[in-house]
Amino acid sequence: MIKIEKLHKSYPIGKDKLHVLKGIDLHIKEGEFVSIMGSSGSGKSTLLNIVGLLDIHDEGNYFLNGQLIKDLNEKKAAILRNKFLGFVFQSFNLISYKTALENVALPLYYKGINRKERLKVALDYLDKVGLKDWANHLPNELSGGQKQRVAIARALVTKPKVVLADEPTGALDSTTTDSVMDLLKDINDEGMTVFVITHEEEVAEQTKRIVRLKDGVIISDELTKTAKAV
Amino acid sequence: MFDRDIWAEIFHSIKKNKLRTFLTGFSVAWGIFILVLLLASVNGMKNGFTSQFNDDATNSIFISPAVTTKPYAGFEAGRKIKFTNEDLKYIQGNFTEEVEYITPRFRKGVTAKYKKETGTYSVRGVATDHQYIEKTIIDNGRYINENDVVKKLKVAVIGNMIKADLFPNENPIGKTFIMNNSTYQIVGVFSDKGNEREERIIYVPVSTMQRLYKNTDQVSQIILTYNPKYSYAEAINFSDVLEIVLKRKHKVAPDDQGAIYLNNNAEGFSDVSNFTTMLTFISIGVGLLILLAGIVGIGNILVFIIKERTKEIGIRKALGAKPSQIINLVLLESIFITTISGAGGMLFAMGLVSLIAKVLPKSPAFADPSVNITTVIIAGIILVVSGVVAGLIPAIRAANVKPIVALRSD
Repeated sequence: MIKIEKLHKSYPIGKDKLHVLKGIDLHIKEGEFVSIMGSSGSGKSTLLNIVGLLDIHDEGNYFLNGQLIKDLNEKKAAILRNKFLGFVFQSFNLISYKTALENVALPLYYKGINRKERLKVALDYLDKVGLKDWANHLPNELSGGQKQRVAIARALVTKPKVVLADEPTGALDSTTTDSVMDLLKDINDEGMTVFVITHEEEVAEQTKRIVRLKDGVIISDELTKTAKAV
Repeated sequence: MFDRDIWAEIFHSIKKNKLRTFLTGFSVAWGIFILVLLLASVNGMKNGFTSQFNDDATNSIFISPAVTTKPYAGFEAGRKIKFTNEDLKYIQGNFTEEVEYITPRFRKGVTAKYKKETGTYSVRGVATDHQYIEKTIIDNGRYINENDVVKKLKVAVIGNMIKADLFPNENPIGKTFIMNNSTYQIVGVFSDKGNEREERIIYVPVSTMQRLYKNTDQVSQIILTYNPKYSYAEAINFSDVLEIVLKRKHKVAPDDQGAIYLNNNAEGFSDVSNFTTMLTFISIGVGLLILLAGIVGIGNILVFIIKERTKEIGIRKALGAKPSQIINLVLLESIFITTISGAGGMLFAMGLVSLIAKVLPKSPAFADPSVNITTVIIAGIILVVSGVVAGLIPAIRAANVKPIVALRSD
């Protein structure tokens, strides 16, 4: 599903360059539940941004669903993101003036689906994350856990190939963290590829494969107990 | 473009920034308001000037004989030029294309008497065309007709003021009154837009008057209107030709400025219309500059709004919004604000203009200020275009927002 070969990325800082990713090789197959671990500055967010087509890599090859990602313009990137990827962010990134239902329906709008159909599908997904009764509430009327579940529903609504979660539990307490992780597990059990970035050991433990990143290189890549148990 | 969601977004953004939207809208509304008001004022001035000439047909030429100031062709200076019926026929015969209406005028002062009432008035012997040239409005009865002229009938058409003087409580039509010891029958009463003096005039057939004054064939003045399709330049050219021809006919030196007077309204009109055209251009220029300030204002505010919505735009992009969809969103917002507020300013200005037109008395300098439909359409086009221009830079900037940069900005 995601295949990365010798990926390099650096950011210019003044006259110097900050070499963030130094040759990453990673292969994630369909249906995997992978977490990327690393301290801040390890390059894990940069990796996610590149995988999420939010940023462009400098060197190496990136195949998404077998397609080589190269020379993407904004429009093509937007179409690919909409088609293949669902995002879950640490700070939820819900649009504050839209209701939970409208937030979930937004990716479908950019997919060109009519309003009636959109709202119907969005409501199904809200139901799936257990927030059907909260459909017409604005984000600031929801708890952190609820917001993240709305964000997950939004990530799933277009039936993407991969769900990319950037510190999905970073802003949550331990109870809600568990419920969000359970939700991600359920999604994965249904066959969805889930790609989580985290710095929390407990969160990573709940995924099936942990890739550890340090200073822009992969230092370990192993299956977790959870995966072995299955 | 007419997607419900886009409008929902726009209304939301407007609602969220009421003061800002109001200030922006106000500057555009103000610009349009001034533009419309300026154009209406110029229109009012134009109408005021035109109404000054409106007493007579605007395409009229008055030709009056006078005294030569230069010796020429064996004649000494100081010779009195006289126009006769023959001159009239000559112009009629030679300028069929150029002349629309033509009439002689034979002018005398008279004392008129009816029962015990008397008054001193000016009497004009005229042909039927005179009515159209002078724009005489018949209130009652009829004007002098061909039959009156051919048969030299003693009939008269009197002005409103004379009716008030001599027939205060009677209908004068059909009555006879005495004018310089001759009896005339009144066939019509008229009014004139010019002024009260014009309504103290008696019109009689020119032939009748000429017979009474020693059977002369002389006329005091020849008045004509030129082909109404003529431009000012063509009209002025025609009156120049006419002057040359008449001078030759009456053996007047070509450079004698005094012997024959040609008074062509076109010359005055040409000046006035040049003047008002200039004024129109100036007012459009000033109005557009004010509008420009409004557009810059709207652009400025949109740039600010975009900055504030950077994160939201980033989210939208992450969810699959194409750059064109982002541009649409921002552009439509600015077009919407400019159009609505501009239309408001326009309506307000039009209302004010029609109020002024009602309240303000007509004066020679200002009458009936109005905005014509072309002005409104042009202003409308300017509005939409300015909305696009104002929104374009912020829209492009919004479309170029990198999603990661946007998502990072908390």
